[in-house]
Amino acid sequence: MVDIEQVDFSYHGEETHGSLHQINIQVKPGECVLLCGKSGCGKTTITKLINGLIPHFNDGDLSGKTIVDDMVVADTPMYRLSEKVGSVFQNPKSQFFNIDSDSELAFGLENNGVAPEIIRQQVDKTVQDLHIEHLLHRDIFSMSGGEKQTLAFASVYAMNPEIYVLDEPSANLDRASTLTLGEQLKYIKSQGKSIVIAEHRLYYLTDIIDRAVFIVDGKIVKEYSREEFLSLTDEERCRMGLRTLRQKNPPYSIISKEGGELEVRNLAVKDKKHTIFENISFSVSSGEILGVLGINGAGKTTLMRCLAGLLKEHSGQVLYHGKSMSPKERNAACYMIMQDVNHQLFGESVWNECELSRDDNITDAEIEKALTDFDLINFKDKHPMALSGGQKQRLAIVTGIVAGKKILIFDEPTSGLDYDHMCVVSQTLKDLAKLGHIVFVVTHDMEFLEITCDQVVQIGEQYFSGR
Amino acid sequence: MAGTETKAIHLDPRTDLLLLVIANIVAFTYSARWIEFAVIGVLALLLLCCGCGKTAIKWILVFAGLVVIQYYVIPILPKIFVIMFSILTVYIRKLFPCLMIGALILKTTPVRFLIIALRKWHIPQKLIIPLSITLRYFPAIKEEHRHIRDAMKLRKIKGLERKMECMVVPLLMSATGTADELSAAAITRGIENPVPKTCIVDLRFHIQDYICLLVGCAFIVAANIAH
Repeated sequence: MVDIEQVDFSYHGEETHGSLHQINIQVKPGECVLLCGKSGCGKTTITKLINGLIPHFNDGDLSGKTIVDDMVVADTPMYRLSEKVGSVFQNPKSQFFNIDSDSELAFGLENNGVAPEIIRQQVDKTVQDLHIEHLLHRDIFSMSGGEKQTLAFASVYAMNPEIYVLDEPSANLDRASTLTLGEQLKYIKSQGKSIVIAEHRLYYLTDIIDRAVFIVDGKIVKEYSREEFLSLTDEERCRMGLRTLRQKNPPYSIISKEGGELEVRNLAVKDKKHTIFENISFSVSSGEILGVLGINGAGKTTLMRCLAGLLKEHSGQVLYHGKSMSPKERNAACYMIMQDVNHQLFGESVWNECELSRDDNITDAEIEKALTDFDLINFKDKHPMALSGGQKQRLAIVTGIVAGKKILIFDEPTSGLDYDHMCVVSQTLKDLAKLGHIVFVVTHDMEFLEITCDQVVQIGEQYFSGR
Repeated sequence: MAGTETKAIHLDPRTDLLLLVIANIVAFTYSARWIEFAVIGVLALLLLCCGCGKTAIKWILVFAGLVVIQYYVIPILPKIFVIMFSILTVYIRKLFPCLMIGALILKTTPVRFLIIALRKWHIPQKLIIPLSITLRYFPAIKEEHRHIRDAMKLRKIKGLERKMECMVVPLLMSATGTADELSAAAITRGIENPVPKTCIVDLRFHIQDYICLLVGCAFIVAANIAH
């Protein structure tokens, strides 16, 4: 079905990142192949060889040959390939062209000029097969990330391709949505479709894959059969820089704690019509890391925005050392590191970024120290947007520190990170806690949660646990 | 249920657009007050039939308010305000029918139908594709704007000019990223296919569309005679 023969590739202007050397991969009909390895190892590049984005969309130096369903990819126009190869990408936000879900499901078929009656049949079949009745007639902008990704998958399914190529499809999904994705993949595999998937998160794929290809720096280091791959010990896996193969469950013992430095009592937030959450109580002290769990749409982000004083509470209290804090006081004490840190970097250089947010009694030396601590001092004259994702995240943290903020809130700091980078983020959070900060982290990354957080609070079916 | 069926009428988006043109013509030709009131009345009825009863009432109340201000409040105001307010009320009243149709379109017509209607009129793809992408982008900007505003509040960024700058730069950055990802996703779904695109929605003129347009034409004629 897919035959990649001795392919070398490098992006223009990039020497190493994402380049490939002597890649040979064969995928048989009905087979599911996992591409795994660290960030930047070339997983995504291989998916692009198959769906034709290389060489039709991304420029670079390519040699070797890729054949998909008897078509030579380089000589076949994209729209021919798109009839056979369906692609699902990482970011649920930037995969749809319409504002409503119905149009989106029909989009691919309409592009290929399929007759309207047949489109209607295909869409109905898609809805039935994937059980997505709840996604029909919806405004896509009102959907959660998980729903968007399900819709992206469904609109590819409607085109009925022979090969599915997925590039980190679970990077922005919560646990439930990830498992839904797993079910869908199992379903298309049972129909005899071929699947090629590049992923960091592995636990939801263990039932589905037939082979795993392990890639380091653009070279295939080893191909594992399913059995071999699943019998890797945790030690071997960590050395390879891979995420866990086993599904982690959130800790589930309920401990109600009182008397911490920061105490939240019966907090409730409502908007015009709905109660977003109510009766949230927990408490933390400096040096502690509190994980905030909950399914998409449960109100995690709302809770954090309320804590940071960006939203007013409807009832309840936030106490600091026993004294009630107004939203304004909370705003002064809290800082949030957003999931997309691009939204919060405004400076012209790394140094300027820190100066913009510095507290009056923070000296230049202290800024320098913070930049050194977070490995950014060498980049102090660079533009923040020229930094890598991890560096941007660390810069956002530094701006919070030099603003003299006591409480640091992280929103999904590990989405799309490989094992090593996740460990780095985890260590960073622990260091911040050691410095005497109160750290909140909203996450659905259980592996990260397990090695990072001291306590957990769940929004939705509320529970609170400590260890 | 059977006895109290209040099924809303659906208009073809092309009718909506034509009505907008008609309303403009009428607004700038009429002289008689009864025609203006009739237009407002008929449009309110149309809103009601299309299932926007609340909106219809709101618009009628606002209109009544304007009329009251013009005839009862303005005469007793000091002279400086008179000029200011009378220009305002006169022009808003002129625009009123267009505003009502605009509200009708926003409430009842999904963007996609509007695009399909334009395609049926054989407006070139070169105009339609940018238009549909622009419309697709507005909600995305709104979402990002919310995040950036939060970030600014946490950073104590002050001053309008500084705020604008801090808003625009991240928006542009994310727009380039999104544009790239969006086009990659588009071409893997065959947007470049040269065959004529088909469409799952079948738009057609129905009896209600013809009635609306007829009534519209009647108003044009009436307005011209009264003129």
